[in-house]
Amino acid sequence: MTKRNVDPITLSVVRGVLETTQREMTLTLEQTARSSVFNLAHDYSTALFNHTPEMILQGQDIPIHLGSLIPAMKSVAKFFEGEIHEGDLILHNDPAYGGSHIIDTCMYYPVFYEGELVFWTVCKGHLTDIGGPVPAGYNPNATEIFAEGLRIPPVKLWDKGKPRHDVMNLLLTNMRARRDQEGDFNALIGACQVGARNLINLMKKYGKDVVQDCIAELLDMAEAHMRKLIAGVPDGTYTGTAILEDAGHGFGDFDITATVTIKGDACHIEIASPPQVPYFINSYEGNSHSGVYLGLMMFAQLPPPYNEGLYRCVTTDMGPKGTLCNAKSPAPHMNCTTTPMETLTDAVRLAFEQAAPAKVSASWGHANGCNIAGWDKRHDEEYVTMVLASIISGAGATAAQDGWHACGPECCFGALTSGDIEMLEHSYPIIIHRYGLMEDSGGAGKNRGGSGTCWEVEPMDTPMTLVTFGEGRRIPAMGAAGAKSALIQPKVGRLEVTRNGQTRIITENVIETIQPGERAANKNPGGGGYGNPFERDIQKVVEDVRNGLVSLEGARLDYGVVITDRDSLSVDHAATAKLRAA
Amino acid sequence: MQNQYRLGIDAGGTFTDFILADRKGGVRIFKALSTPNDPTAAIRNGLALIEEETGLSPETIVSNADLCINGTTVGLNALITHNGAKTGLIATRGHEDSIEIRLGHKEDGYRYDPDYPPATMLVPRYLRRGVGERVLSNGQVHTPLNEDDVREACRHFLREGVESVAISFVWSVLHPEHENRAAEIVREMMPDVRLTVGSQLYPQVREYTRTSTAIVNAYLAPILQRYVEAVDAYFRSLGARHPVRYFQSNGGLALGKVVSDQSVYAINSGPASAPQAALWLGQPWGMKDIITVDMGGTSFDITLTRDGRANVSKNVDFLRYRIGIPMIQVETLGAGGGSIGWIDSMGLMQMGPQSAGSEPGPACYDQGGEKPTTTDANLVLGYLNPDGLVGGRLPLNVEKARAAIKTHLADPLGISVEKAAYGMFTIVNNNMVNAIRRVSVERGYDPRDFVLNCAGGATAAHITALAREMGTRKVLISKLASGLCAFGQIISDVKYNYMAPAAARLEGAESAAKLNGLFNGLEARGRADLMADGFTDDTISIRRSLDMRYVGQVHECTVDVDPFEVTEAALERLKAAFHARHEELYTYAEPNSAVEVVNVESAITGAVDKPGRMTVVPGKGAHSALKGTREMIFNADGIAHETPVYDGAALGAGDRITGPAVIQEVTTTIVIEPGWLAELDASGVYVLTLATQTGAAQPQRATEVA
Repeated sequence: MTKRNVDPITLSVVRGVLETTQREMTLTLEQTARSSVFNLAHDYSTALFNHTPEMILQGQDIPIHLGSLIPAMKSVAKFFEGEIHEGDLILHNDPAYGGSHIIDTCMYYPVFYEGELVFWTVCKGHLTDIGGPVPAGYNPNATEIFAEGLRIPPVKLWDKGKPRHDVMNLLLTNMRARRDQEGDFNALIGACQVGARNLINLMKKYGKDVVQDCIAELLDMAEAHMRKLIAGVPDGTYTGTAILEDAGHGFGDFDITATVTIKGDACHIEIASPPQVPYFINSYEGNSHSGVYLGLMMFAQLPPPYNEGLYRCVTTDMGPKGTLCNAKSPAPHMNCTTTPMETLTDAVRLAFEQAAPAKVSASWGHANGCNIAGWDKRHDEEYVTMVLASIISGAGATAAQDGWHACGPECCFGALTSGDIEMLEHSYPIIIHRYGLMEDSGGAGKNRGGSGTCWEVEPMDTPMTLVTFGEGRRIPAMGAAGAKSALIQPKVGRLEVTRNGQTRIITENVIETIQPGERAANKNPGGGGYGNPFERDIQKVVEDVRNGLVSLEGARLDYGVVITDRDSLSVDHAATAKLRAA
Repeated sequence: MQNQYRLGIDAGGTFTDFILADRKGGVRIFKALSTPNDPTAAIRNGLALIEEETGLSPETIVSNADLCINGTTVGLNALITHNGAKTGLIATRGHEDSIEIRLGHKEDGYRYDPDYPPATMLVPRYLRRGVGERVLSNGQVHTPLNEDDVREACRHFLREGVESVAISFVWSVLHPEHENRAAEIVREMMPDVRLTVGSQLYPQVREYTRTSTAIVNAYLAPILQRYVEAVDAYFRSLGARHPVRYFQSNGGLALGKVVSDQSVYAINSGPASAPQAALWLGQPWGMKDIITVDMGGTSFDITLTRDGRANVSKNVDFLRYRIGIPMIQVETLGAGGGSIGWIDSMGLMQMGPQSAGSEPGPACYDQGGEKPTTTDANLVLGYLNPDGLVGGRLPLNVEKARAAIKTHLADPLGISVEKAAYGMFTIVNNNMVNAIRRVSVERGYDPRDFVLNCAGGATAAHITALAREMGTRKVLISKLASGLCAFGQIISDVKYNYMAPAAARLEGAESAAKLNGLFNGLEARGRADLMADGFTDDTISIRRSLDMRYVGQVHECTVDVDPFEVTEAALERLKAAFHARHEELYTYAEPNSAVEVVNVESAITGAVDKPGRMTVVPGKGAHSALKGTREMIFNADGIAHETPVYDGAALGAGDRITGPAVIQEVTTTIVIEPGWLAELDASGVYVLTLATQTGAAQPQRATEVA
């Protein structure tokens, strides 16, 4: 390789501009989008690619979006090879072309400079609807992808600067809540434009060649960084198996196994999963990349910036085509970004925990949430949305500290936001009776897992369709470094529907109709603990009890701490010592 | 000014600045060490210092001053150190945790960081009590207030020794009666606690923001109250004829009573006066589009005025706490004289945000600091005088600076110390330019259209480099730059913000009349408040604004209401202004989409008359102020050139200096890069312009201002 003409100072400057560019793209999406999924929940991501196309900057958005953007960008560029022109804008969602799930639509904008393709500005966002039989896309009854919504292979939305209104109209005609979808498309396009503007200015200032050299250098540096981390792990083969629980598909539990082979400064990750199933939990290869990379980052724990150089020393094998983690058409897949993705991530994380036991933190609570749809009488229009607030689970504990409360799910790693209660009630005709932390929901450990959340809703004046997705309703978030909980029930998710004074607990993925006057409470799991819970500082357990995060029963069963009563919070030290010694 | 003096006091992290202005335009800066543990001590010490240097006793000054203005960091410090009052929250049952859930988000930059801690809770969970009550999004009562629950919460708080209480209910802005009744019960049962009511403090939609704002307010109120009472008493004892006024984060002054009731308005007041100061400095040239940058020891604060108005932020995270109330937008970056240069785990050189602070300080201070800092780079580049800062009181050790840069940066990167130093300078400048985008580009403004104004002691060494990176062609540097924020306070007006929620689509005469009525109601309250403080009708001015968005969006753009009356015809103009603003910000508008109003706000100002302008006597030409030369580096090649150094104190009005050059002022060092021309104006402001091909551009005074 020839020595590039890169001085270390310009390099730092270019890095800063790339990060600023990505930040401004993200801000544009957040500020202008229409649906609550975008504008309140941040379920979108942005990235920059060079012409090859290699990801040169991964935003600090949703981890589960970003891994899959790498194969998706390459598929899209290949599809239009030789036909990419200045002023084109490409839309795509299909997992057969590296997409994650079809409700995540991606916008790709080629950036030309002096007549030459130099960069791509890219963003991906979770629309609130993509057509198909079930509002919001998650159809637990789908046995094929065709029953989940509209597949969009790479298609030009603009052709040499000319918007193709016919194509846009075709898409919007097939979607619910058209105004929201149109507004969100505009936001995605606006973000790509903002990104392109900045990159062009950067090239005007430093020249295209200098900028490209700097970027090549940044990719190499990221590669070297990851290689150094991996070289620090003893050579060998490490295996992790995580259980994907049956969430209503009737096929029983599945094992997903990750085998991580470390050799020198390179790493190979192999996934083994059962054959794909006619249920919406299959993951196509692009999406599985996200899960694998997230598991890797839970080990690497790197600060930004992130680019594709990080993954150059990592090879992957998602298993044979036609399996759960390497699905092929027509496998239904809508739930894939959370299920089986988080279990896949856990398997990779667990394999790395064998490799670097002191470093790897606990698993986070898995997504176990709902979508809602119905009629909004206030504006005489249909509403539909994913409720991101309903999937905010607890974060896993780390070697350094307790897990964050209400920061999950694992696939989003704190990048989502739940949205303000009043803004949600303003946007949709619902009453949110409760949005709070749950007692005993954090996994027990020397460092406790973060608490999960409960989101309880009642439709205001018209029946509401509520669709559940995800899992984590029987198996709690996995602890690390010897953490283990005794009190399981409060640590797993579920849906509780209360009608006429009777509460029914639902642990499967279903489509329910909730009437005004009825309530649905979606409970989300807490994060896993870290270390032996019997070694947790007694005073910390007392504080958790004072704050209603741990019950007296939880203190005794999970932590071996006997507290006499809630008022005095005094500890029976003799009984505690006895329990802890057992 | 009615009296002889005006006194401004601005407490910063390290120093408390004192500005003493007189009627004839004399302005002097004094500095005393801050005393965070006893904030009034710094005031006493500073006044003693002034007496020592001027012979004017504190009594003489205070009894002859028409206004004593106090910018305080008491609230800020309590928030940083989590040393506020023991606070309880009364919330709608089921929503006690919104401030701990924090919208479920972990801040960017820490995505995979296993050590980044959650935000410290100002009100721990056991002091957050839910009560039975619920109002719906249409304003209807779903569940009436359960008064027994409120009483039970009070009993709990009394047992726990709570000093301050916040009440915040869901949708209370549409139906404040529940909060008001709960407040009555709290006052009755806990007459000695401070009380903050969400819908009174911040009557705007967004429960999390309102609750969080109320909690920060409650947490700080007892602290501010004690402070204000102590300061007020002290000034009364010195014979003050007017009440002390306090500076707020909204860029205006307020009476002590207001500050202790609405403490949240005081949290970031220090840098909020910069826009006011900038406009004052730019006034002789009619400059209204100004970006002010203020670089201190550890941080870099940026503010912006556009068409004479400062950027305002609402609903932002401040020190990790969500604050709703309008505050002057201050973007803060960890970049100062003490910022440390280091090489990150990927091998890239970075500057800050870690800082060597004042202890041990930069390596060149020779107080044990071994890490290379911005100040070390500036010294190696020749910009700073090795004889010392602050008039020679602090000598600088060049060898220590070189050694630190060599060990930690130059050797690992394989470049010379000079190149590394220039690299540090470049990177810190670029970090600052990227941060400047947050007040400009992200607000839809092109920074090249702005004048760059210099504040703070460390900024002037970077100012022409920043201007070059930004593409700005004009720079202002006041002789008062190092104390510019304190100066900004003494020329500020009294200002209060009044808000109301106003969910309405912008259609028809009825909606116009409704909005106009809302504004009138807010302004009647505002006038009454200002008149109670002695203002007359002719000194009161009002600015109306609307927070607007497309139906379906949840983030708003603020649009000023101009002309003032909201009529049906005005609605069309307002909508057009909104579309234009949206396009400015986000590259597109949707002219056919419906627009709705969310909030209305009136900012009500009581004008305070200004002190006289500083006057500098005409100069005899810059050559008479030439002190000598130093070797300086102005290029990435690291090659040094002999460069003239001027004594700022010896320059007079009209004197001109062409870059490269350095002007040494007592409290700051101005670096003029090649290509710039500096001229000292009679008002004590250096005006720097970028020389053009046809010769140096000359500053033109639009009007002569008395």
